[in-house]
Amino acid sequence: MILEEEESMAEEKKEGAAATSADVAEAKRTPGGGITRRGLFIGVGSTAVLLGLGGLRYAGHNPINRPPGGTDEAHLVSGCIRCERCYEACPRQAIVPAKIEDGLLGMRSPMLDFNTGNYCDFCYEENGGVPLCVQVCPTEALELPADYTVGNPETGETGDIIIGTAEIDPRTCLAYRLTGCRDCYDACNYGAIELKDEGGANPIPYVVEDKCNGCGACQAVCLSLSSGSIKSSERAIVVRPIQG
Amino acid sequence: MKETKNAAAVETASKKDGAKAMDAKLKTRKLRTAVGAVVFVGMAAGLIAGVSMGTLSGFGWDTFSLLCPLGALGTMIATKTMIPRAVVSLLLIAALVLVFGRAFCSWLCPTMLIDRVRDFFRSPKKRRELAEKKNSQIKAVSQQEIEGLKAAKAGHACGACGKCQPVKHGKVDSRHAVLGGALLSTAIFGFPVFCLVCPVGLSFATVLVIWRAFAHGDATIGLILIPAMLVIELVVLRKWCSNFCPLSALMNLVGRFSRTFVPVINDEKCLETARATSCSKCAEACEADINIRHPEFGLRTMADCTRCRNCVDVCPTKAITMPIFVGKKAGKTVVEIPEPVMDDDLRPSLD
Repeated sequence: MILEEEESMAEEKKEGAAATSADVAEAKRTPGGGITRRGLFIGVGSTAVLLGLGGLRYAGHNPINRPPGGTDEAHLVSGCIRCERCYEACPRQAIVPAKIEDGLLGMRSPMLDFNTGNYCDFCYEENGGVPLCVQVCPTEALELPADYTVGNPETGETGDIIIGTAEIDPRTCLAYRLTGCRDCYDACNYGAIELKDEGGANPIPYVVEDKCNGCGACQAVCLSLSSGSIKSSERAIVVRPIQG
Repeated sequence: MKETKNAAAVETASKKDGAKAMDAKLKTRKLRTAVGAVVFVGMAAGLIAGVSMGTLSGFGWDTFSLLCPLGALGTMIATKTMIPRAVVSLLLIAALVLVFGRAFCSWLCPTMLIDRVRDFFRSPKKRRELAEKKNSQIKAVSQQEIEGLKAAKAGHACGACGKCQPVKHGKVDSRHAVLGGALLSTAIFGFPVFCLVCPVGLSFATVLVIWRAFAHGDATIGLILIPAMLVIELVVLRKWCSNFCPLSALMNLVGRFSRTFVPVINDEKCLETARATSCSKCAEACEADINIRHPEFGLRTMADCTRCRNCVDVCPTKAITMPIFVGKKAGKTVVEIPEPVMDDDLRPSLD
């Protein structure tokens, strides 16, 4: 008699718990199958979300300066798992994670940021011209052809690896304001910047596109934002990624 | 008689300070938290300082790397090429999982650390509530089984009462569906989709984005969005690890063949088999939602054992061990009751 009473109490408690918690429902047996209704819901819901995320591929993102070997944008996006090894490997800390503002698809993928004063020398100095980011990339998202030459600061050769091309904005460039600034010209190792009126009172730099490999040395030294009291979102000389 | 008294003492002691006592017993848990924290902090510091050793998504140096298996699969599916380093990583990880099961989940995964932080900020009341809920739920199962078996002994067919019909575990569960969805989306859209939202990657990304905000004044929406995604995955979606994580699904596929370091119960010591006392502390402590004593009643099976050693630590009679090699599959379906010493005052109760 006592036993029965206790049992019915136990039943009641169990049922009370079941009503308040989904977990108990889960612990209960599911007739005829392994996957619960909740499991099915999770599976279908998550698949839908992941397919939706996949659709970001078509949303695209702003053009981004990629590290060496990453200029094939489609290949980079396919291969990159955001493991962050290239950021660590970059001896000049020129590689940073891309921001969400540049597009969700590219979020946290590797981007070269020259505004911090760093630029890419294709690891000529640090690793004999084998870019370390390419070397460490475990998924070959950054990939160079078997045969290539890198920009050589000693001989001034441009090399095969082109990150982008520098572009000067005459509206913000200090040299156009006749200040005599020629920092970018001095920074360029590849003779990609020449001066109009060289030797004159107001030399004005321009980019020789054939010689520019987008290393970013010019952008890294550009003073327009810091000393020109100019309102602009970017420096007067910036590297633009090569499209397509 | 002495033995039964001991059992009763254990029973009442564990009831008194329930959750607290259990926490104190989980020695390995402290060690695991420490190991996970050291690894995470070390790797995050390396990421900030530019020490080339990778993160948990791709640990390694120079040309060697141990890649995340899901990332390795994803990148190969997306680029439709065999990538030697990815294949080597996959094989290495498979071998590791075969030996250590899902040990990554309980020893290294940053979500484990986030969970600890959450625990820390939970009010004692809430903590007690959670512990009590799990306790009553699991006690109910073990009591059910013992009652059912007693009834069977009394001549009542066990199957007929439906009390001890176990949960039927399929070979796959919701996580495998998430894994399938991730790989399907990767194949269709041609990029490793899950990497965008992977909590392991997001944990490191959170550190990096915060660091960059302070060190370089790099303000971005990511400062909010990246941690927000983590919170959605780990807090809003309940039981990420057991229900959603496709990585855990992948490890489960290999882990089910593991026969090493799997916890086994010594039935001669276990309170339930030796004394017919409902205990199931091991199931209560399990972080992978396995009911080791009554495997058929747990949400997950031994395939998901994360080698966290909670069950070993918490067992009141030290009946559980993790031998290096387990010959046959561990864990019995149904508890066999040996001729028990059944005192009425020893009868297990639910609270």
